[in-house]
Amino acid sequence: MSNDNPYGFAPSEDQPIRYLQRIRDYYVTLGYGKPYEWGHYADAPFTPLKKPLQNSRVSLVTTAAPYNPEAGDQGPWSAYNSKAKFYEVYSGASDEDHDLRISHIGIDRKHTSQEDPGTWFPLPMLRKMAEEGRIGEVAPRFHGAPTNRSHRVTIEVDAAEIVRRTLEDNADVAILAAN
Amino acid sequence: MGCAKDIVEYVGAPRFLFSDFPLGNPGGRPHDAESQHKTLGHALDLLEQAPGPMTTWQNPIRWSESHAWKEDYSNVEKLSAEEIVRLKAEFDRGKEIAKAKREGDDG
Repeated sequence: MSNDNPYGFAPSEDQPIRYLQRIRDYYVTLGYGKPYEWGHYADAPFTPLKKPLQNSRVSLVTTAAPYNPEAGDQGPWSAYNSKAKFYEVYSGASDEDHDLRISHIGIDRKHTSQEDPGTWFPLPMLRKMAEEGRIGEVAPRFHGAPTNRSHRVTIEVDAAEIVRRTLEDNADVAILAAN
Repeated sequence: MGCAKDIVEYVGAPRFLFSDFPLGNPGGRPHDAESQHKTLGHALDLLEQAPGPMTTWQNPIRWSESHAWKEDYSNVEKLSAEEIVRLKAEFDRGKEIAKAKREGDDG
């Protein structure tokens, strides 16, 4: 603790990044006038758990994309790759391993190596939670959410489809791991 | 589970486990199974314990000792004029590719 900081305050930059402002400034500087308008709600639906997690079937939703060998570089440290984007909800068997990538998302390309899928797709860890008895079981399928820039498509088409599939799987709870 | 605190809170979520990590790491730190186990564990705890909607919990795990990584993401203050031109061209190219792919998927 130094004399000019007797109370040990953290530097002001050491706080969660203000992405809304950062991204707006970025695109304005690049010359795009109309900034992206994020959907905004002042409240959210809330459903208390119907039963303990130890007895619940838990589903996983991801924004990651299945690796596509024809879509260019999706490996560690890959640049933003819009070829790897997908536009329809997909699902996969939860008891199998999957090769999913995040090159199609606006992640941090300087500090996120994209080497360890456990950081963006916690399906193996969710299976471990089931083995350990922390949750009842993993739902039979996980679901992939397209990162579409259309509010209408996201809400009316993609989210609706994910809810439909989640209910079809008789899941009690869904976790979205967003990138 | 996510890493963009202001965005998720602005959009609104029933429960949000915020990890103060670079974007792309909602599940924990890379090559650190313990941090990934704890991170998902916090998310499960939150499911059980949130008192109501819009509840944010912060993952107590730190990304690294230094906070310097927070200065880099899309930060115009760190860009030169040449970089801005290059990034704009890159962004336009990406948009074209995405557009072509989307239209291809639709058709």
